Amino acid sequence: MTDDYPIRRVAVVNLFTVLIRWLLGAIFLYLGLTKALHPVEFLKLLRQYDLTRDALLLNFLAAGLPWFEIFCGVLLWAGVAVRGTAVALTLMLLTFSLLVLHRALQLHAALHIPFCAVKFDCGCGTGEEFICHKLAVNFLLTALSAWLVSGRGKQFCVRYSLVRGSKLPRTPDLR
Amino acid sequence: MKEPLRQTPVKIRQGPVGKVLREAVLVAVAGVVFALFANQISPRGLTLTRNYFPDGIDKAILPVTATGTNTTALSPESAPGGSGKQEAWQSIDGHQAVQLFHNSHLKQGAIVFVDARDEEHYIAGHVPGAYEFDPYHPEKYFPTVLPACRAAEQIVVYCNGGDCEDSKSAALLLREVGIANRKLFLYEDGITGWTSNHQPVETGARNSGNLSITIQ
Repeated sequence: MTDDYPIRRVAVVNLFTVLIRWLLGAIFLYLGLTKALHPVEFLKLLRQYDLTRDALLLNFLAAGLPWFEIFCGVLLWAGVAVRGTAVALTLMLLTFSLLVLHRALQLHAALHIPFCAVKFDCGCGTGEEFICHKLAVNFLLTALSAWLVSGRGKQFCVRYSLVRGSKLPRTPDLR
Repeated sequence: MKEPLRQTPVKIRQGPVGKVLREAVLVAVAGVVFALFANQISPRGLTLTRNYFPDGIDKAILPVTATGTNTTALSPESAPGGSGKQEAWQSIDGHQAVQLFHNSHLKQGAIVFVDARDEEHYIAGHVPGAYEFDPYHPEKYFPTVLPACRAAEQIVVYCNGGDCEDSKSAALLLREVGIANRKLFLYEDGITGWTSNHQPVETGARNSGNLSITIQ
């Protein structure tokens, strides 16, 4: 019984990781679809960040990001290139969070209201949200994405790694 | 005596971190290709080369002092900073919009309302008889809107109201295809102002006859 304990713990962690992968996949699939179905609305929201004056680049971002999220969501769901996808999502979430924070600070300074009272549609696919709540959610999603990079929970994957040799030492299987 | 140094081939081995990063780059490249392809085939996809926010949107807006068929709009030439293609926009308030709506010239086509919101919002409720003209998909609406605008003397363009810029985008497009600036009026309060003035809205298609006072 005592000998089984570490193996059972690893199995629980793996199961937990698989659930996180499916949850993240579903979230990005949903967020991506919300934006991909209304690309013009997303384009308008993206414009508020003043990222670029170049129309081509702005269109490229507005047209590409939603479908990229969908792509990553599907990969996570299916379990393809999980760690690479998780790295891409982590970097994307960090960038978005910084942009949202920057925009919120601008609004906070312009409107003279408490920081957590700043509420706006960040174009994240969830409509208008209070900034503190949004940042907390983004932090959680980033942490979960980063967790997937750890290499646990390879169960129920079509192809966990695309690059040969990127596998970590085997962990006990759930099956 | 010193032995000559032997040169052995150096093998650069990539650690697990490098391999994961390589996989991330692969995912990113494949994702971008997929995204561009999906946008291309999506009926709602964006045209990458089009400027959806032309410079004219940010031009000044001048209020119109009188309404009705005898409208004495400020001439574009007299507008501050406005000449030629860089003309200032003329705007009307809720009272003036209502006056134009109840003007007898509306039915004759001399006054035209243009709804610059997307199809979903238009169907949910628009100014009765207003033409649908989503400026992000102009090619779809030009065949219907252009003849009406060419025949009209006054064209009232509106969107949601507030910060919405779609009415300016629509007006700019109409101006670019030859509709005179003096004919174009922006109703800045938009549909929000219209409904809060308890004016009727029409749901569904244009001239569907489904009138109500408030939007659901």
